[in-house]
Amino acid sequence: MPERPIPENDPIVNKSYAMHYLIATLILMVTLLWAMWDEGWGQRPWKSYQGEFKTRYLAFLKTARTKSATSVDEVKKNPEYASLQQNYEGTSAQAKSRLEELRKQVSELSGRILAVQNVFTDRRAYVNALTYELETGSSASAKQSKQKDIDNYKAELATVNYPDGSKKKFNYQQLEEEYNKLRGERVKVNAEVAEALKPLTESKAKLDAYVTDHMVDLTPQQIAGLQRKTEDWDPKIVQLNVAEANIVDRCESCHMGIRESVKLTAAAMEAKGAKKPDEYAKAFTSHPSAELMNAHDPEKFGCTSCHQGNGRATTSVEKAHGNYEHWLWPLFTKQNMEAGCQTCHAADAMLMAGDSGAIITEGKFLYRQRGCMGCHRYEGYDKEPEELQSVNQQLKLADQQKRENVKQSAYLMKQADSAGSNEEANSLNDKAVALRVANSKIDGRVQQLDFQSHNLMQDMKKIGPNLKEVRLKLNRNWIPVWLKKPTDFRPTTKMPNFRLTDGQIQAISAYLWQSGLKDELPKQKAGNAGHGRELFETRGCLACHSMGESSEMQGGTFAANLTRVGEKANYDYLVRWIHNARERTRPYCPYEKKDIGPEDYAKKGKPFVFDLEHSTCPNDGHEMQVQNMTVMPSLRLSLEDAQDIASYLMTMKKQEPTAYADAAFMEDGALQAEGKKWIRHYGCAGCHEISGMEDEGRIGTELTFEGSKPIERLDFALFTDAAQRGGKEPIGNAEDLARLPEGPSKGPWYNHKGFFEHKLAEPELYDKGMVKTETEALRMPNVHLAKEEVRALSTFLQGSQELGLPASYQYRPMDAKRDIQEGWWIVQKYNCQGCHQFTPSQATTLMGMKKYQDPDWKEQLPPKLLTEGARVDPEWMRKFLTNPSLSTADTNRNGVRPYLKVRMPTFTFSDNELRKLVRFFQALSQQPMPYIPQQVPTLTAKETDMARSLFSSNAAPCLKCHATGDAQHDQHATAPNFLLAKERLKPDWAERWIRDPQAISPGTSMPSGLFKQDGDHWVFAGPTPASFEGYDKDQSKLLVDYIFQLSPEEQRRVAGAKGRSHAVNAPPSKPGRSTAPIRAKGPGPGVENSHASGGAAR
Amino acid sequence: MDWHQLWVIISAPDNVPIVGLIPLLCFYIYLAWKQAKGNDDLIAELEADPAMAKTHHRKTWPFKPGWQKEVHVWPFLLRIEFLAAIIITIILMVWSITLNAPLEEPANPNLTMNPSKAPWYFLGLQEMLVYFDPWIAGVVMPTLIIVGLMIIPYVDTNPLGSGYYTWKQRKFAISTFLFGFIVLWISMIIIGTFIRGPGWQWFWPGQTWDHNRQIYEVNRDLPDLFGIASNAGKMIFGALVVGGYFVLGGLGVYSLFRRYMAKDFKRMSLVQFSMTQVFLLIMLALPLKMILRLAWHIKYVWITPWFNV
Repeated sequence: MPERPIPENDPIVNKSYAMHYLIATLILMVTLLWAMWDEGWGQRPWKSYQGEFKTRYLAFLKTARTKSATSVDEVKKNPEYASLQQNYEGTSAQAKSRLEELRKQVSELSGRILAVQNVFTDRRAYVNALTYELETGSSASAKQSKQKDIDNYKAELATVNYPDGSKKKFNYQQLEEEYNKLRGERVKVNAEVAEALKPLTESKAKLDAYVTDHMVDLTPQQIAGLQRKTEDWDPKIVQLNVAEANIVDRCESCHMGIRESVKLTAAAMEAKGAKKPDEYAKAFTSHPSAELMNAHDPEKFGCTSCHQGNGRATTSVEKAHGNYEHWLWPLFTKQNMEAGCQTCHAADAMLMAGDSGAIITEGKFLYRQRGCMGCHRYEGYDKEPEELQSVNQQLKLADQQKRENVKQSAYLMKQADSAGSNEEANSLNDKAVALRVANSKIDGRVQQLDFQSHNLMQDMKKIGPNLKEVRLKLNRNWIPVWLKKPTDFRPTTKMPNFRLTDGQIQAISAYLWQSGLKDELPKQKAGNAGHGRELFETRGCLACHSMGESSEMQGGTFAANLTRVGEKANYDYLVRWIHNARERTRPYCPYEKKDIGPEDYAKKGKPFVFDLEHSTCPNDGHEMQVQNMTVMPSLRLSLEDAQDIASYLMTMKKQEPTAYADAAFMEDGALQAEGKKWIRHYGCAGCHEISGMEDEGRIGTELTFEGSKPIERLDFALFTDAAQRGGKEPIGNAEDLARLPEGPSKGPWYNHKGFFEHKLAEPELYDKGMVKTETEALRMPNVHLAKEEVRALSTFLQGSQELGLPASYQYRPMDAKRDIQEGWWIVQKYNCQGCHQFTPSQATTLMGMKKYQDPDWKEQLPPKLLTEGARVDPEWMRKFLTNPSLSTADTNRNGVRPYLKVRMPTFTFSDNELRKLVRFFQALSQQPMPYIPQQVPTLTAKETDMARSLFSSNAAPCLKCHATGDAQHDQHATAPNFLLAKERLKPDWAERWIRDPQAISPGTSMPSGLFKQDGDHWVFAGPTPASFEGYDKDQSKLLVDYIFQLSPEEQRRVAGAKGRSHAVNAPPSKPGRSTAPIRAKGPGPGVENSHASGGAAR
Repeated sequence: MDWHQLWVIISAPDNVPIVGLIPLLCFYIYLAWKQAKGNDDLIAELEADPAMAKTHHRKTWPFKPGWQKEVHVWPFLLRIEFLAAIIITIILMVWSITLNAPLEEPANPNLTMNPSKAPWYFLGLQEMLVYFDPWIAGVVMPTLIIVGLMIIPYVDTNPLGSGYYTWKQRKFAISTFLFGFIVLWISMIIIGTFIRGPGWQWFWPGQTWDHNRQIYEVNRDLPDLFGIASNAGKMIFGALVVGGYFVLGGLGVYSLFRRYMAKDFKRMSLVQFSMTQVFLLIMLALPLKMILRLAWHIKYVWITPWFNV
């Protein structure tokens, strides 16, 4: 203390705090201003967006206005516009004098009204005030005196000074009458004005509409409207509120251009002088897909139900987009935008709207096609096994019930025999009878269930081949080599790489080999490989299968690449497979859970015959699996053809089958138990049929709602930190790294997208660095997907969410749209789109092949099915799909188009799938169901003659291209036989078709312009005989009616009369060549056009 | 050293008060200590010079003619308080502008957060749950704390050191307060904030909070260490140990009071002293139990069918 100098004056009393206060107060003021700024702008960044939008949009509109003004001038130069203009000017001149007069009247009246009104309202107010006093008067006398005042006042005369200087006096009542009278007059005159204006406004509207209709963009008026709207804009939150779905989306507070009526691009919204579109410019663009916006009205769906993100947040871009830790539904990234479709469209197989939908559709397709559903359940995928299981369960219960009933009824009968009284015996008897009746009801139910399981078993397919038949099918020594790494043998295979150890491979192959069926296959004769190759390349095998590797590859990726099939396959089996892939060695009875062999049939004294008609088990009478569960159809080839193709395929190899190292361990019984363990562990039975594993469940986690799984439940294992902080990319393998859709991670990837994409690129990633035993290691195999495929699947999974949206937002149509929805699943299941076109934009596999680029081969492409539903009778279609040869005897052919080398295969669809497919085609062409066939009127003899003359006209030689059933002619025919038309086609379609085939199937070789419109009906374009004089009906209809009544004899007659000289003379060389002379000569006058070249034979 | 992890913990909006608490606490202890030191020195000086004591007034300053003996609250105190109020307002405003409330995702009963932490002012209680049964840590202890705080005026017999900072005159009260506040409360909050990671595991600052971390720890009960197997044996043994602690501790407190605070002790009634003694021993038992647990993995000392300690 003594060290410190003691101040003279008391420091507490004398110290000044002025400076402290000054500084503190200044800081406080600054903070206050800061708080106000924060409140106004800091927390409301959308304000600066709106300000920026205003300036940029106005600048844009200004330039757009000058542009549109010039184009308006162009429109105005049109003579049509000039005439409208003239019309407008004429009417306006006419109406002018009358209008002026009326307007003068109105203004005069208004002046008078105003004069009366001034006096009247003043007096009325006084009367009202007096009336109030009268009403609230305390005594009768007071009331009386008030009433007197009122009456006196009302009687007083008031002077009205009219605008023209005249004066008039009125009492109250007269004043009121005068006022009402004047007003009534004005209304009348105004109505007259409107009447007079009517022609004027009408012609003006016509004039304006003409400009609007003939302008691609907006008119200057519209743009001026937009400008006004934008100029008057005050910053405010723009909000979509859908109470029904609890959606509150404020996205448009920043994205102000998203629904503007002009198309805004980032480039158009650039700041003045900017080189690159900045953040604002990108935010101000219009929605890229008008189709999607039309289908999903933002007023109903908001933004976040498709895009996700935090619709309510307005404080920052990150918050609004939901890209922060605590928001569970962040905005889908641009690359995975279509994930949003899946949230409501999970039940659709095909999602296409404009340019959108390809990625999510691909994802859905891959999920099935790559066998993901073999391990991972997903609502709607591969549901047949589950349904079958429930059917079998019910069958078991019914059986049990029946047995019990029988027992019980026998017991009751016995009791009745020994009953004391008659009544008692009768009642017991009745009960026993009731039980027997119940049993017959159960029988009916069992029959239903059996039928259901028959269908289900027919529909049930496995992604991988049946492994019960490995012994019959495969080169034993090849199996372990394949299992080691399937992609080494066949780079494009669907079989994923399982990272098996050698021990596991040995055990698994040993089990498969030893559990395989040991039946003998019939020996097959060797075939002609050269002919086999030709068949293989032309019959349509390549729509699904491919041949050749990497750049050499030709054909589809739906089924296996067969470049090295000769190394692994057994010839005898291959012949049977090609002949009919659905043919099984032994049927499988799911009730007994065993493969039924000849011995079982023999026991019952039955022949060993099983097919779809003989599908019940000899032991218990229940439905059996009598088909291979493959989607591979039968091409209805003869056995010789099958032998030829198999012989050709057996030559497809890089090394001799004998070159594989001997795998004697596969006969070692000791390995069986371990093999079974590993097969079960890896869930092989999810994709393959394996003995003893028919009822194995799926081993993977269900993925139906994987996209909304809490991120904490996704195990990033040792890479949690790397993912959260964006550390080094953990995938080291260059091949796997190349699978990441957006390349190695550049920042944090701790989200669903990051997890899915890393997992799909390298499934073992989350095992890396962990110490795990063989059974603990992750089982997910490497599906060796390409980058785009990973993106598609990741998009699919990200969209697999359990949403908070009401159920009504899920797309579950009940009408024809549902038929389309269901149909696509089947179309994709059997790869129909490998050969056929269903939508104009979709390309088939065959169309893309080298061979079919040749114009002659283009003719050989399978028909397009763009309007198939409108064209064919649904009942006929069902028949055709059941048996495309349309014949029970001669099946080795195409039923409708015998001239096509490509063969429409028999898919043996179940009744269930047939029904769905037929409905699908009808719905796709907007045809009503059920279809009631149209009656075709019977032609008179004269009409028949006339029609025949058309049919056989030189100008339209129908029978030149259309098949007739004559083998020699049909060899060169390029169109279906007319005799099929009656059953197959819908008459109204056929008429539309012959009038303008190009409109229905662009590129068809059916000539257009056969008929031309003459007045209100259609007449033949070529020369017609004299009998047509005075015929005033549609000649096209006449021809169609004739064709629908064509009998084989009639056709033969016409064909004979015409002679088959063209066809016979044609050089029979390459397929499709026969069309060449027809094209060279041309079908005749009026038909001479270029339509005959190229396109599908139609 | 995982600096990122450390930064994540420190920068969490939730933890800002605790980060601010540490320097503030140090500063105010230092300030109080400085004031106390000055006063203590002055007391020593005045005791040595009784004449000066008569004229001396106010604080550590010596007498100066012309200085007022007393000053008014207004304006001399209030003007400083008002200045403080302005500064606090500034701090609160800046804080509320820059750090928003840490709003998290909607609660999901199927998925609780890990670690799930109490608000910072309750972290001490949550930390106690590690060492005691819920009803002891959550009910008995908080009740005792409140009751203990309530009895302070009734057991405090020291007439000195009221209204000014001093250490020499209130050694016992101040050290007991510092022990209770800093060791038992603040340190537990700091442990709860910076040390306890996922699974409420102990992570030293700079260690990564790894959700997958696995540690091996076996907690035993004290009777087990002595091979006592029967339940009755455990109960009796535990009662003996706890009773022993209170008897020995009571004797220790008694002799310390007698030796170092003879004056205070003489002024205390039996009830006052025994209350002081009991609460002091219970307070001391808390860190003892923590040390037993952390250093020797001892879970319970006294096991009964009704409660465990």
